Amino acid sequence: MFSRRTRIILAVLVVASLSFVILDLRGGDGPFSSARSAVSSIIGGIQRGAATIFSPVTGASEWWSTQVGQSGQIRDLTVENERLNSALVSSENDIARANQLDALLRVASVGRYEVTPAEVIAIGPSQDFAWTVTIDAGSLDGIEEDMTVINGDGLVGRVLKVYNSTATVVLIVDPVSSVGGRIAGSQEIGIVSGTGRQNSLEFQLLDPLGEVNPGDAVVTFGSKSGRPYAPGLPIGEVVDVTGSAGQLARIATVRPYANMSQVSVVGVVVKPPREDPRDSVLPNAPVVTPTPTPAATSAPGSSNEKETAATPAPSGN
Amino acid sequence: MIFRQGLFIGTCVFVAVLIELTLLSRLGIPGATPDIVVVTVVAIAFAMGPVQGATSGFAAGVILDLSPSSDTLVGVNAIIYLIIGFVAGFWIDPRDRTLPIMIGITALSTSAAALGTAIVDSALGGDRVNWVEVPWITLSSALYGVLLSALVIPLIARLSRSFLAEKSLS
Repeated sequence: MFSRRTRIILAVLVVASLSFVILDLRGGDGPFSSARSAVSSIIGGIQRGAATIFSPVTGASEWWSTQVGQSGQIRDLTVENERLNSALVSSENDIARANQLDALLRVASVGRYEVTPAEVIAIGPSQDFAWTVTIDAGSLDGIEEDMTVINGDGLVGRVLKVYNSTATVVLIVDPVSSVGGRIAGSQEIGIVSGTGRQNSLEFQLLDPLGEVNPGDAVVTFGSKSGRPYAPGLPIGEVVDVTGSAGQLARIATVRPYANMSQVSVVGVVVKPPREDPRDSVLPNAPVVTPTPTPAATSAPGSSNEKETAATPAPSGN
Repeated sequence: MIFRQGLFIGTCVFVAVLIELTLLSRLGIPGATPDIVVVTVVAIAFAMGPVQGATSGFAAGVILDLSPSSDTLVGVNAIIYLIIGFVAGFWIDPRDRTLPIMIGITALSTSAAALGTAIVDSALGGDRVNWVEVPWITLSSALYGVLLSALVIPLIARLSRSFLAEKSLS
């Protein structure tokens, strides 16, 4: 039916891709780790350039992608989008970026995390069901595997693979991601796992009798020496709880603070704080008390709540 | 001639992967990411034939699997796109190459790619696939495939005619 040449080419290609799958499935440092880093260095470099060229377009898209769900409007909005003055778009883009950096700096300084700023330059297609992005910082910038990635709103993910000038980050909403979480202001800990949907996480308390209510904030519990997750970072807010106290399948739905489909400026925590900042990093936490001497805050973290109770709520927040 | 074809296929596929990863996936569009890579592979298969379609599908899959921001097994996308490229090139009837038919085949291909990735991923033990989302991803990728193919298929056809002009004589 096919010519001999066709059959040979097809057979070679099929065998090649199947053996790729099998070799890569073995895991570990297979033959693809070097191929991956070589290709990634090339593609990553080009992606940086492409991301800069496309930044007005992707920046403008943040405006209309807030209309997610009204897919009928997408085309109208695309047309509308094209009418936007490109100079205006790029300046707005710069302002947004500056605001995100400001927020990131706030999180980093309140929690005393040492961060390296980076920008998202590519996102994996959603057909892969993986929530992974590429950032434009790599081993040359001091990034290592399993470092925490945050943005101005809270926890974003962790570094999965590192190349020379780029790194792959797996977001917390990825179905394989799980983070140790703690309810702010209490000792209840549990596991926050990704669901594959951009605005929901599952939080399972380790203690089935523990108390969790909608509106509770969840922060990271922290891993040993701050990897893969540094302690005290805001993850999200509990929006729904299924099951009653004592039930085994007691799962809280958590909406992440960081908007996963629109992460752009992020920070990689290269050095976690020496002590757990507890709840002080939360977006509207009253814990950011105007203590006269910041150096005196080296008291154990558990005193934070008491301080809060004693201080009048800051109205400006 | 093979060199020219290879260069053409490689360039088209590489540009498509770049556009998909840096532009389309960042638009925040609901559902699947508009799959310009599959559309390009199918367009090459239409313009040049099943073997070229299969080769470009293989190349596109390997580049996509190896690129940063992907955490899939190397070869999964390669084999899916390879099959799609071949079938699309084989299926198209040379006597009936109207745009609606080509767009229909493209829509089927993009949804087949989305569904195929889900099936192969879960068959290989990946625990990422969320089957509740699969129908929606499949449908939306067909929709975006239609939109993209109206642009990409004529473009690739023109490019291949002008770039590989001598080839059509042989």
